[in-house]
Amino acid sequence: MPSDVVLVIGGGPAGLEAARGVADLGARVVLVEERDRLGGTPVFERYAALTHGFQDAEEVMDRMVRAVVGHPGVEVRLRSKVVSCEGQVGSFRVGVQRLEDGAPTTVEAGAIIVATGFQHFDPGRETQVYGYYEYPDVITLADAEAMLKAKRFVRPSTGLPPERVCFIQCVGSRDRQIGNEYCSKVCCGIASKQAIEIRQQVPQCKVYIFYIDMRMYGYWENEIYWPAQEQYKVNYIKGIATEIIRKGDKLLVRGEDTTLGRPLEVPMDVVILSVGMEPSKGTREVAKVLGLKQNKYGFIEVPHEGVDPVATSVPGIFVAGAAAGPKDLDDTLSMAGAAAMKAVAALRRAAVAGAAG
Amino acid sequence: MDTDRTTGERVFRRDPDLPTPEDIRERVLALEEAGEWIVQRVPQPYREVPTKYGWPKKVPLQHTWHHKSCGQCGHIPGYSTAIFWLHRKLGLDYDDPRDQTSCTGWNYYASATSNAAAQAAVAARNFAAAYATGYFPLIHCGTSYGHYKEVREELVKHGELRRQVREILAKLGKPLVMPEEIVHYSEWVYAVREEIAARRVYDCSEVVVTVHPACHYYKLVQGDAIYDPDIYGGQRTAVVTAVAKALGAQVRDYSMWFDCCGFGFRHILVQRDFTRSFAVSRKIETMIEEAKPDVVLTHDTGCVTTLDKSQFAAQVHKKKVGVPVMSEAQFAALAMGAHPYRVCQLHWHAADYRPLLEKMGIDWRERWREFEEDLERIQRGEKEYLTWEDVDAEVPARHFLPVS
Amino acid sequence: MALHAPPKLEKYADVPYEEKERLFQEVKSDPRFPDYLYGCYECGICVAACPSARFYDFSPRKIAQTLAREDVELFYYQLNEDVWNCSQCFSCNRCPRGNSPGGLITIMREVAVRHGLRSAKEALEGYSRVIYKIMLTGTQVSPDMIQADAFPDWGPVAKETAEKLELWRKAIPPETMHTTSTAWEVSDQTLAELYLIWYMTGVLDMIREVDEGLHMILTDVMEEFLEEKGLAVAS
Repeated sequence: MPSDVVLVIGGGPAGLEAARGVADLGARVVLVEERDRLGGTPVFERYAALTHGFQDAEEVMDRMVRAVVGHPGVEVRLRSKVVSCEGQVGSFRVGVQRLEDGAPTTVEAGAIIVATGFQHFDPGRETQVYGYYEYPDVITLADAEAMLKAKRFVRPSTGLPPERVCFIQCVGSRDRQIGNEYCSKVCCGIASKQAIEIRQQVPQCKVYIFYIDMRMYGYWENEIYWPAQEQYKVNYIKGIATEIIRKGDKLLVRGEDTTLGRPLEVPMDVVILSVGMEPSKGTREVAKVLGLKQNKYGFIEVPHEGVDPVATSVPGIFVAGAAAGPKDLDDTLSMAGAAAMKAVAALRRAAVAGAAG
Repeated sequence: MDTDRTTGERVFRRDPDLPTPEDIRERVLALEEAGEWIVQRVPQPYREVPTKYGWPKKVPLQHTWHHKSCGQCGHIPGYSTAIFWLHRKLGLDYDDPRDQTSCTGWNYYASATSNAAAQAAVAARNFAAAYATGYFPLIHCGTSYGHYKEVREELVKHGELRRQVREILAKLGKPLVMPEEIVHYSEWVYAVREEIAARRVYDCSEVVVTVHPACHYYKLVQGDAIYDPDIYGGQRTAVVTAVAKALGAQVRDYSMWFDCCGFGFRHILVQRDFTRSFAVSRKIETMIEEAKPDVVLTHDTGCVTTLDKSQFAAQVHKKKVGVPVMSEAQFAALAMGAHPYRVCQLHWHAADYRPLLEKMGIDWRERWREFEEDLERIQRGEKEYLTWEDVDAEVPARHFLPVS
Repeated sequence: MALHAPPKLEKYADVPYEEKERLFQEVKSDPRFPDYLYGCYECGICVAACPSARFYDFSPRKIAQTLAREDVELFYYQLNEDVWNCSQCFSCNRCPRGNSPGGLITIMREVAVRHGLRSAKEALEGYSRVIYKIMLTGTQVSPDMIQADAFPDWGPVAKETAEKLELWRKAIPPETMHTTSTAWEVSDQTLAELYLIWYMTGVLDMIREVDEGLHMILTDVMEEFLEEKGLAVAS
């Protein structure tokens, strides 16, 4: 019996947008989320402003969540996990387990959208020596975001506002030794955005960004990069760091100023590591449960990237967002819309085929 | 990562699901399957130690063939002697071969008057010599260790080089052998640090140590250096530091920890202003300013040589110098009661080590008098050499392995 | 061809381009080359980690870049002026692309030696006794190399060691270390095997390029030794 339900796995921006999209098209949605709240990474990592137009992340996510929770076509299951899958497009039978009590249920779905997202690269796996596990004043983009949201950007070791802060780009990305050879796409934009926010919140603080390339696609160039340099006097230095070690009460950052062609050793109060994206645990688990091909980095493989950016190796199962690789919010929401459209189309095709045969 | 964003210590927990770089040992074993060479296995008993990407590494406790270091045996004889002495006091059997050449890495890195095939053949000849005795190679020098790992990679990746080396060894009547692990002596000291600590007789709790890790140990080929979650949170190599801590010493950090000592291979011989400038300005002075150490411990021949010998000339320039430098093997031996001159041979060292000995409660004046008597006896012709017999009696051996 | 020609390259303007190209190709065709050079995105990590970069006008990044761009003129300049500044510590192996600038320099140095470049000979001036030791005795830096006039900056310990060497070397417990002209006692058979390795791998030919006198001494000693042992120099 072909089902008229689309199963959406993951309640972050991709999952929320896909769920609302499917429901708006008149099909039914079951949205499964492992955590106890919807919202995904922007909520759980307490994002301050979204790179996209500096909108308040909490407000934006709140709107997205309410649009889904209030929608009559969507059934939300929190604290639940996908554990098995049988069948094919039109009639998948998916085992969903409630985490509280392990109670098993089955969801019959005609199409599935995987929106299980990413996790941040753990700096403990870095080839360089950045000291994230030695120094509280070495933090990640996510740590910085939480402080910016709370409007309390300080040196963790002292609780006082810093005088010198730097970002180190490409941590855990573009690296053959670590194995994450790809670019994580969003960190240049996020770091520049955070640099602006720090300059706004702590005007006496000098901010530096050590980079290999600044990836400021499209309107990021004029909306973020130029203002960061011109209005907010953020210092961009081409050449990233190899070591961070404490000297006195400062952190010594060792890099090369490649523009001037000489080694550089500068003291900082706070160092922010621009950690890249990796497939989340949920993405890796769901890929195996659903039998989806993963690429060599563990992300869900999209067989015809650029031509059909939401397809997976299994017909009727679609992917949206960072589960497929590094994505920014625009990519994620676009993929969610495309996945919703294709999922509903798959349902309808299967229903017609079922009725005919 | 486990972290409480507002406070608290972060703890690095490795996710076993995430990929790590290729483990070359798998390819070494695969080549044995394909009949390309013999892989000498690490003999029992061995201990497994943790490494950079979380892979376990086997360190043999005994039946080791000691691949000696020229700089050590030549200029810092107490270093090699202390390594042997530690084995003897732990009741662990070893071989000190004459059928061993230098790895020739120092010459290779200094002058390039050699090539990949020669270097690989020298390594393979030594490995074959060890294999013939049935004892497993234990490498004394950091550069030999790093260089042999480099050679291993080249031999694994290049079939033509393997063929060439196999032919050369065949002409010498030897098989092509690759050890299952390439093990540095400091990894052995790490593996038995608790047994060493249990035999400590001098109090080290007041001794302040700064550690210098050797570039060729942990930078040249990174995957099999020891990283221990209990030492530096698993973020810096654990050898030497783990031993100093086990002995109860205070290990203090300094802001040039990762810097090279400045040895430079050819620089220390023909361009010493570079070596001296580096060793003194970046390492010694920083250690003294920031940590005020009683001793600098390291685990490589070149590093001991550079850091110890570079300090004298710097005094003329009023640089802040004057901290003794030695291997962790010598320090561990001292802590266990080894004679500072008969065993640790500290009279070959340049920077003054006597305040350290005094701090540890070692009566160096008496010890030096004893050693001078040894020298006089040798000079008079009463004995030809100082021997292990002379030295073994001073501190009894305490075995810990079950007698087989 | 170079994209531009900075004035410093004029120093080697009279060396024929074909010669420079030939040496470049020799470096590029070394079997290890592809392991040591992938691509370079100029992140500067190698320079950040490099001790020589802090003392000399030296940049492992520029060496990798030059080889990646196949800039033959700049390569030849670096081959003569820069490669001997590297301290071979391999801190540059931190490269996120997997390059090894130190490894590239090792290959370049071998090529410089093999072709007897004057800069190689100059770099190795004063080094020949070390080559002599390692080639002939199987160990380097033997005890008798600590001479006060060779190491005046090491202080009084160098003088005292040199004066008391014979005696002090007898007062070391390990039996293999009662030596002065070698670091430890190396057996004759081992030496013979070592000499055969040098012959069979072409190392002696390399040495002839940089120091003919040394080469003559080495081959004389080795041939005599091998003859005594009844071994021929198989090629």
